[in-house]
Amino acid sequence: MSPSHCLRRVGTGLCVALLSSSALSQAEIGLPVLVPVTGFLSLEGTSQRNGALLAIRNAPNSIKISAPVTDTGASPEGASTALERALARGKVTAVVASMLGPQMLAMMPIALENKVPLATVSGTADLTERKNPYVFRFFPGDATAKAAHVRYVVEDMQKKRIALVYQTTAYGQGGRAQIVEQLKKAGLAPVMEEALEVQVKDMSAVIGKVQQSNPDVVMLHLHGGPSALFLKQAAASRITVPIITGSALGQPSTAALLEPAELKNVCAETNAAPIASGNGPEMEEFTQKFRAEFKTEPDGFAVGQYDAVGMILDAVQKGATTPEAVTRYLSSGSYQGLAMKYKSDGKGNMAHSAIIICYDGNSRVPKIAKRYN
Amino acid sequence: MLQLLLNALALGASYALLALGFVLILNATSAVNFAHGDVVMLGGYTAIALHALLQWPGAFLLPLVLAVMALLGLVFSLGAYFPLKDRPPVSVFISTIALGIVFQNATNAIAGAEPRKGPALFGEGQVNFGNVAIGEQAMAIIGAAALLIAGQHLLFRYTGLGRRLRATAQDRQMAEAVGISVNRMIGLTFAIGAGLAGAAGLMLANTFFASPTDGSNYILKAYIAVTIGGWGNLYGAVCGAMFIALFEVLYPSLPILVPLLKSTTPWLFSQTMSSILLYVGLLAIMFFRPQGLFGEAIQKRV
Repeated sequence: MSPSHCLRRVGTGLCVALLSSSALSQAEIGLPVLVPVTGFLSLEGTSQRNGALLAIRNAPNSIKISAPVTDTGASPEGASTALERALARGKVTAVVASMLGPQMLAMMPIALENKVPLATVSGTADLTERKNPYVFRFFPGDATAKAAHVRYVVEDMQKKRIALVYQTTAYGQGGRAQIVEQLKKAGLAPVMEEALEVQVKDMSAVIGKVQQSNPDVVMLHLHGGPSALFLKQAAASRITVPIITGSALGQPSTAALLEPAELKNVCAETNAAPIASGNGPEMEEFTQKFRAEFKTEPDGFAVGQYDAVGMILDAVQKGATTPEAVTRYLSSGSYQGLAMKYKSDGKGNMAHSAIIICYDGNSRVPKIAKRYN
Repeated sequence: MLQLLLNALALGASYALLALGFVLILNATSAVNFAHGDVVMLGGYTAIALHALLQWPGAFLLPLVLAVMALLGLVFSLGAYFPLKDRPPVSVFISTIALGIVFQNATNAIAGAEPRKGPALFGEGQVNFGNVAIGEQAMAIIGAAALLIAGQHLLFRYTGLGRRLRATAQDRQMAEAVGISVNRMIGLTFAIGAGLAGAAGLMLANTFFASPTDGSNYILKAYIAVTIGGWGNLYGAVCGAMFIALFEVLYPSLPILVPLLKSTTPWLFSQTMSSILLYVGLLAIMFFRPQGLFGEAIQKRV
């Protein structure tokens, strides 16, 4: 054997050894993304998907991820079928699960049966009250978010005459219950309350009732489109008292529907506001990457889901490659994400911070006005 | 009061255009076009796209939107109606449901899921009459819708084409027997219906925004308007649409309009109660006056 031949064989052997060790050290996980990309929650669901995909694309090289995206539509059956199919297809380490509460409720028994963790950004309070150890919520639940919502109105703004407008959906009613409870703790009750169906387009009647009740602040707990409709029509009706909305307005696409002047005296509660001024460099880097990848603005749901996947990948990097191990890590570990530090409260509520963002009436870029931990 | 009434009339005017298009197609084909709400949504997106391209106000875009949507209506009839017209009626309305879903998802894929704001007809400001501020857009909607409805009335009532369209809607076999090109008339009806729906979409997209899933809500309004007004009756559909809008806006406003009612239980005049009463009223009409408030169509619906 010539020396050069010998060297070639040694080199080949080294390469094979290196590749094998690399293959051996590369963890393989299945992380199906089951979110509503169509239907009435498609806007939020698309944001959720994009947040998850960005985290997956930025995952460490040591993790090989299979992350097929399935649209769950707007029905519970769509979500449960998507989960069952994902489980039947093969290895599932964890699931990026729909932010639509009824879909989560449909997926939870399947996750329990198959012992697979679900990471979601759904705000529906009931999800983490069902003692299902496989549910992890990376978005402030109503208890956290509405506490911040009420604290800002009562403690910071010192308002007492509160008009409350909420949605008739599970999301709206759950939020309304939390707001009323938090107000009660502060010794207050709304001077006026009205529930709106999602389909209501003309809000003249409810705005008239708000004006008639002579409030010093209006609290909204509406979905994105209705929030924008209310604010637009309230501005046209010359409502001048401050309006503090739920997290829907934190979505840049909702604020984009309004003229800056229509956002005067308007604030919103949310988990994170990536486009707001006052964020740190990491959030700004995330925002740049998100814009480059998806040609749209990120919102709090995208950040929440990005952090959720980030925590799952952190678990995998630390050796948790099975669903059980990831579940254990999510249940007991903590993770510093972009928006906040996440840690389970024992029920699967991972997010315990909320911020208040406010608009100045001159632009659609909000400022972070208050942070509640 | 004036502001509330004007808002209700503007909403009713948009609903009227939508219901009118729906009933035109219903009369011509005896089939319910379940995609009609999605055609309204497409009208909104067409206006948004044209506005982005041309930067014209909505009033100048209106003829363009009418033309684009009329063309779409024609293509729609070629895809959803003509290939299936000799099959049982259920085939046609299943095909319209399918195309509606295609429209919704295609819009979602192309334009994204987020709601979009359409152009105003002239402006979005307010005109002050004493203490009352009236929206320019609301007034413009009422004016534009009135012109379109009047135009449709003149076309159908006083032109040869209108007579042929009416003849086709009343009795297709007889119209064919007297030499009217029934297929051409049906295609034209789809074009007019889609044009009117597109105009409604343009008007609604500014005041109430447009999103890919809006269609299901609009088709429901058209259906109720037609049931209230009289299944197949053009002017009944317009009145039905106005009735729905006035009820939706004015019923929950009663405690504001009538001070005596201010002290009543709030839920009695809530938006939720307003919806419940509207649908109970609809059921009552179906029970006690199934032909609707303005009579019955000549053709039998299968």
